[in-house]
Amino acid sequence: MAVDLSMPVLVVDDYKTMIRIIRNLLKQLGFTNVDDAADGTEALAKMRGKRYGLVISDWNMEPMTGYELLKEVRGDEGLKPTPFIMITAESKTENVIAAKKAGVNNYIVKPFNAATLKTKITAVIGEF
Amino acid sequence: MSAPEKAADTSLDEVAGHIRDMNAESLSLPDILNLAEIMVGSMQGFFGHVDTAIYKELTEISDFIDTTRSEIGRLQPRNLKDKHFPEAGLELEAIVQSTESATNTIMEQAELIMSADPDDMPAYHDTVQGAVMEIFEACSFQDITGQRISKVVSTLVLIESKISSLADALGSALNEDIEEEETEEEKRKRELILNGPALDGEGIEQSDVDDILSDGASQDDIDALFD
Repeated sequence: MAVDLSMPVLVVDDYKTMIRIIRNLLKQLGFTNVDDAADGTEALAKMRGKRYGLVISDWNMEPMTGYELLKEVRGDEGLKPTPFIMITAESKTENVIAAKKAGVNNYIVKPFNAATLKTKITAVIGEF
Repeated sequence: MSAPEKAADTSLDEVAGHIRDMNAESLSLPDILNLAEIMVGSMQGFFGHVDTAIYKELTEISDFIDTTRSEIGRLQPRNLKDKHFPEAGLELEAIVQSTESATNTIMEQAELIMSADPDDMPAYHDTVQGAVMEIFEACSFQDITGQRISKVVSTLVLIESKISSLADALGSALNEDIEEEETEEEKRKRELILNGPALDGEGIEQSDVDDILSDGASQDDIDALFD
């Protein structure tokens, strides 16, 4: 089944510049319905009010980190199936393993490029 | 036991012997004064020794405090607090602001190019030309931030040299085995695995991440990464 590029995508990052970069990249990839949140708490509130087809989150945020957000999402029956990609500068093996154990669908290390973003999104939600 | 302590101990035994031999009920004031005199005489050597030892130690402590005070004075802590630290902080803030401003300018121009209509070639050409010039200009932030970072590095080098001098002066008196108690912030960073960006060669590459996440990676493969 083809991916619906109008599905809501949530970008979570505490740096407005990074949100802008990811938004532009997603726009270039064809996604038309992108929301954003500045940390895990705001993201969780938005996710409980709207069903997202994909969440792309940073790790290091205050007060709720992307890692905590991931664990909250996977612990919530309603949100559990939401595809979740981590985009972060946290590039230690322990971070990747912790994210994997918490149920992340993919993990992108910053700095990244458009091709990597497209490859990882495709791996998670399918060809588009 | 030191010699004065032994002498004092022997004299005390003698005094105790005298008291035992006396009839306590018939003990007169001169007897008691005599005993006190014997005791004071016998303890004089001991206290004299103790006084000298304590005096010597107190002198050493006083000298050490004087040295430490003058070394801390050389650190010029007020100068660091009132001048160097605030200046370094301002330089770092300026770096954040200028990089943010430059990034915004570059992104605005890139967005302008993305939204330009290529069907209207003359207008498209002008838009792209203008945007590219703006991007070049915005990139000049790199030179200024480089200079600002050099100033911050100079401050760090200054602090390092002052702290090293203090450490050298204190020498063996420094107890570097003291275990610092973990702060709340450190605890949060440890529990939430907040390492921050890794330096070149310290972190792992995207391909390593992909290997860990691939279905083929067993727990043994993952564990091997920790060896």
